Amino acid sequence: MSQAQALPTSPLKQFWLKWRFHLNILLILIPLGFMPKYFADAKLFRGEGGLGANVVSDIKVGQWSLDLAELRDEAPRADGPAGHFKLFNAALCKTCTEGAKAIYLRIGKPRSLRAAGTIFFGAPYRMITSLPIPPRTKPDADLWITIEGWDGSMHQASIPLAQASPSTVAWLKKQGGTK
Amino acid sequence: MAQQTKKSKSRLWFLVHSWLALPIWFFVLIVCFTGMLAVVSQEIIWLANPDVRATKPSDDAERLSFQQVLDALRKAEPDMAVRSLSQPDGSHFALTAGVTLADGTAPTLYVNPYTGAIQGKSPDFNFEAFTRALHGWWLVPFTNGYSWGWYLVSILGLPMLASLVTGLVVYKKFWRGFFKPLRLGHGPRIFWGDVHRLAGVWSIWFIAVISITGTWFLIQAILGDNHITISSEPVVPVIARQEVPLSQDGSPAPRIDLDEAARIATTSIPGLDISFIQLPLTAYSHIEMGGRGWYPLMFQTASVNPYTRKVDSQFLLGDRSTLEFVTESMRPLHTGDFGGLAIKLIWAFFGLILTLMVFSGLLIWTKRTAQATAAALKRSERQPRQRLARGEPITEVQS
Repeated sequence: MSQAQALPTSPLKQFWLKWRFHLNILLILIPLGFMPKYFADAKLFRGEGGLGANVVSDIKVGQWSLDLAELRDEAPRADGPAGHFKLFNAALCKTCTEGAKAIYLRIGKPRSLRAAGTIFFGAPYRMITSLPIPPRTKPDADLWITIEGWDGSMHQASIPLAQASPSTVAWLKKQGGTK
Repeated sequence: MAQQTKKSKSRLWFLVHSWLALPIWFFVLIVCFTGMLAVVSQEIIWLANPDVRATKPSDDAERLSFQQVLDALRKAEPDMAVRSLSQPDGSHFALTAGVTLADGTAPTLYVNPYTGAIQGKSPDFNFEAFTRALHGWWLVPFTNGYSWGWYLVSILGLPMLASLVTGLVVYKKFWRGFFKPLRLGHGPRIFWGDVHRLAGVWSIWFIAVISITGTWFLIQAILGDNHITISSEPVVPVIARQEVPLSQDGSPAPRIDLDEAARIATTSIPGLDISFIQLPLTAYSHIEMGGRGWYPLMFQTASVNPYTRKVDSQFLLGDRSTLEFVTESMRPLHTGDFGGLAIKLIWAFFGLILTLMVFSGLLIWTKRTAQATAAALKRSERQPRQRLARGEPITEVQS
């Protein structure tokens, strides 16, 4: 070790000797700083912060009515080679949870039930899906909701992506600029 | 001359050892302490909150099956959607049920395993999750892959391993130190030095386990963030569309109940222990279940198709590669969560000892190393190179 040889003459060394213990303080400040975010997230995952951001209420899909919201008001998140994803929450209206077998979300109109998009997971009161967002999506694209009935029927509705997730549209516009 | 080189080498080791936890000792201390708390967090909650205890209504009461519990929950709260049922490790714990209520909130309920009664709801402050998040990733959120807090904490495995090695090198004949009494009445420096050494020799195995498994968490994050996987766990495909029956009146297709699913799984997989069961997440999802295998550090899981009654997928001990046996054992070895309360208490005890090691190390450091280093710096200012070349002592007060 070179402590014994190094002379405390360089300003950098002196700075280090003087401030090294303050690294402790900086390290302790990290969790303190993130604590509000931690508790806000815990609340979000317990569903106590509502369905999410930019809630679009009462979207009529066939006989059902549904609320859609993005989990967080933010740009899509990268997940390695799989691309970018955006989490959306949905809730069926309290009196109409019967008969819906599956609910799907997709950018652009699905051609068939087999290509209806990503499926929503969970209880009808609060379902979640991770929607892939290709970076070349047109910012004026529509988000299509497909409900499949237990009788095999298919019901659809759409809302503008710009309404469901303004930050995704802002991100898409930025992507368009660089590509 | 050779003797002197050896001496100065051991002094070098000594200085390395002395400086390892510094200047981040407080960070290391909190990480050790919260880790100790996290090991017994479930037990602390058990002590503090009667809701999480599995109280027997009578001596001859028997545990309900998963389906009986589910029926009781549905009867008590008809609008509630139950997502999962799980028996924590230890029959003194109440069952936990992950549910979603009609208002969209998704709490965890504590359910009596003998009566199916809802004993309470998880409080808003989840002590178990909080201590784990603080210890595991310093509360830094995961936004893109692993959080940088995870790296910050797990990288401590390396200096910890280095302190173990250098500690054993500088502690001459450490194997004789197991029963050395603490010297009282010689001042705090001697006392804390004795505490540090005594705790150290008894903790060799524990420090090795924690630092190696901690370093594994670092490797795990590096692998994960580079999208490298060593897992042989099968990706369970969704149930094929044609296997889910249609109904003319729009009512849901009938699915087998949880007990039937558990029976099918245990018949087809002998030795499968089921301690948790997850209800289908979608109309095309399986009933997932699992529990510990004969090797208690790893879990076995099975996915039962609720329409065709087949076990569509399973991941058993025998399906693991040798590498996975090692890597999957890392987490339970770190947390002490593989052999019930006794192991957890041993882990918590040594976690506390480790916290004490950091603390006593700091006390010794402030009392000795700081002075020694200051002295060395002073002297080296006077005669920088010659003394060192002659192999003379760098510091004065060292052992």
